[in-house]
Amino acid sequence: MFGVGGEILWVDMTKGKIEKVPIDDDLVSKYLLGAGYLSKILYDMIPAGTDPLGEKNVLGIATGLLTGSMFPQASRHVVAALSPLTDVWGESHAAGFFGAELKFAGYDAIMFTGASSDPLYLNIEDSKVELLDASHLWGKDVFETDDILRKDHDRTFRTLSIGQAGENLVRFSAIMNDRDRASARSGLGAVMGSKKIKAVSVKGTGKLDVADPKNYLKHMDIFYERMMANPFTPGRVKFGTTSLVEMMQHIGRLPSYNMKQGVFDGYEKISGDAINEKYLVKARADYSCLQRCGRYTAVRTGPYAFEGGAPEFETQSSMGSRCGNDNLESVLFGHHLANQYGMDTISLGGTISWAMEAWDEGLLTAEDTGGIDLSWGNAETIIKLTKMIALREGFGDVLADGSAAAAERIGRGTEKFVMTVKKQEIAGQEPRAQKSMGLAAVTAARGADHLYAFPVLDEAGFDKEIKERFGEQYLPEMADRLSPKYKGIMVKECEDFMVMVESVGLCKYGTQIPPEFYYDDVALTLKIHNGLDLTGAQLQEIGERIVNLNRLFNARFGVTRKDDCLPDRLTKEKAPLGPSAGEVVELDMMLTEYYDVRGWDQETGLPLKETLKRLGLDN
Amino acid sequence: MTELKFVFGDPDICSGCMVCVNVCSMFYSKVIGPTRSRARVVRLEPALDFPLFCRNCEDAPCIDACPESALTRTSKGIVIVNNRKCNGTGACVEACPYNAIHIHPDTGKAIKCIQCGQCVDRCPADAIFTTTTVDLAERDKDGRMMALHEKHKDELYPREAKN
Ligand code: SF4
Ligand code: SF4
Ligand code: SF4
Repeated sequence: MFGVGGEILWVDMTKGKIEKVPIDDDLVSKYLLGAGYLSKILYDMIPAGTDPLGEKNVLGIATGLLTGSMFPQASRHVVAALSPLTDVWGESHAAGFFGAELKFAGYDAIMFTGASSDPLYLNIEDSKVELLDASHLWGKDVFETDDILRKDHDRTFRTLSIGQAGENLVRFSAIMNDRDRASARSGLGAVMGSKKIKAVSVKGTGKLDVADPKNYLKHMDIFYERMMANPFTPGRVKFGTTSLVEMMQHIGRLPSYNMKQGVFDGYEKISGDAINEKYLVKARADYSCLQRCGRYTAVRTGPYAFEGGAPEFETQSSMGSRCGNDNLESVLFGHHLANQYGMDTISLGGTISWAMEAWDEGLLTAEDTGGIDLSWGNAETIIKLTKMIALREGFGDVLADGSAAAAERIGRGTEKFVMTVKKQEIAGQEPRAQKSMGLAAVTAARGADHLYAFPVLDEAGFDKEIKERFGEQYLPEMADRLSPKYKGIMVKECEDFMVMVESVGLCKYGTQIPPEFYYDDVALTLKIHNGLDLTGAQLQEIGERIVNLNRLFNARFGVTRKDDCLPDRLTKEKAPLGPSAGEVVELDMMLTEYYDVRGWDQETGLPLKETLKRLGLDN
Repeated sequence: MTELKFVFGDPDICSGCMVCVNVCSMFYSKVIGPTRSRARVVRLEPALDFPLFCRNCEDAPCIDACPESALTRTSKGIVIVNNRKCNGTGACVEACPYNAIHIHPDTGKAIKCIQCGQCVDRCPADAIFTTTTVDLAERDKDGRMMALHEKHKDELYPREAKN
């Protein structure tokens, strides 16, 4: 096959053994690479009853088929394992340069099995691959680790690592790469920590041969022109995702005060405009990225002084509005700290906001928190807790297991304020203001998640794309964010597409929002880059196969329809304020439609026999 | 003499996307790979991304260094490699103060930027441009770009470059 590294590194952390295995073309034809390939490998390797932090868990890091290609935003890799936060399928993605570099070294994926008793890191220099002592790195943060590794080896190395949070098995710790890029969700940093893998450093001096070198650049020019001409691109360059604060406030979708409401009085203070006015230093891109959503910001003075990669919308919402915090400098610094320690800012802010609401309700007291004041918007507390969680100090140790586990431990009715699905904190989309997001959060394989489906087609007037992708008969309801109608159909379609995108290593920006590139564009690129002959319809089927396999993985860990639920607040309590006041998420009706189009049993929520048979998953 | 042209970039504007690097390797070598490209991009903190190319030095130490006389300057002022003469000894690599000429791993011949502009046309950030010393002084009136290149020269042009 063209355009790939060609081999997978299997690293047995118990025995310290490294094996190189060619990628399996047959598996690629059924699952592509990236998320799909990992879905299949882990499904075959992780039995029921596995301890996510035990040596039987398997951690995969994989690039997609197009990672390292010249397609716009072909920068991504995926990590997956059984999640220590949700105890179900765990998966997370990041952009950067690590994935492309791994390919240039000749590898498409790294699979870690077993666990070491001493800290090690994997160093890759083309064909030379070795596990090295990491005792000098253990205890160091993500930036220090990157500095040391690139000093010890060479500045041109790319690194992926965990910070103190992953070492301390914080259940929402991230795997970081290229300093400030995060595979944050699902707590896979803790899996890396449990195996005592501090980092992976990689240098590849190789090349990617493409299937159609003669016409390659010609096709890429067309993709580049389309991406650059898309009306979303200038805004993405200017704001990244930060201006979503303003946009979400205006539709009442900005989670505030632990998702009590979808509007926040202080939104302007934490907005994209506010960041650009005073703190933005530069827009930065990842490999092959034309959209430059990466922000490099600086707070020059005061207690929150720093400079580095931060933030994006999710953090403005999770550490800002969700905690009732309008102190922007603390939001920026909090994001920076989370990168430094290696943590998911969504679960971090979600967990702190749960504690703040419990405090507000008088269910948590200074006695529980060790004297820390948890009033809404207390910026100092948010920063203090960020450190304490990463280091598992004091009350931080309770929060380090996530809000669902913390509430279970504390009890006293605090469970009511846990805003999770399958124990993962819901991201920054208040679903009462966009029904598709509510459904997507419950059907996502990794627990609450906006990205598995990323159903943004009803967000900002994509009627034309809806018409193209689904047909006119679903308008206007499908495009109406407050209507639950046809959202099962939409979320299903979006999931199939998005897991396929994660399997080829492209970004959701450019494929889903803006919806510039679709199946046929990916099919064409797989042909000229990899030499694969797959139609758009076949790619869609592969996406469907992956989603079903993820569901089977979760079924093994006990997931059924009963777990596909939202907190009562979102389905029973009407949104109290703002443009979406009075709304609830009509989850049941959407879920029924979703199972129906998925070919899943209405009662169990599991794939029907004929569905599995159709997708070749019946053996 | 003709004004010597070279490609130059603004490290405050360059996003670090490596599109230029890939365009060059695809255009000339029909593969994707930074080691096959005549352009380099180096990311440094804080917030700097340097797109780096041959500076088309007036004294061109690469030309003098080549024992095979494989490097010459064309009438348009471009320093080019004669592939028939180049035997890949790498004396030019040693001599170049800008780490801008390399031995191509597949052909064993030296490669360097020839100011063709293919990457310039495709840079999504408009961070690079073809320029001359006089033009650059005009564009960079306050000397910001030059000062950044100068300040970081040890990291940008390591004598024993491993990449
Ligand atoms: S294409 Fe432009 S923005 Fe991208 S790395 Fe090259 S000079 Fe920088
Ligand atoms: S290759 Fe190096 S020495 Fe030769 S002209 Fe270019 S920058 Fe100068
Ligand atoms: S100007 Fe031409 S030769 Fe020089 S780096 Fe760009 S594409 Fe390569």
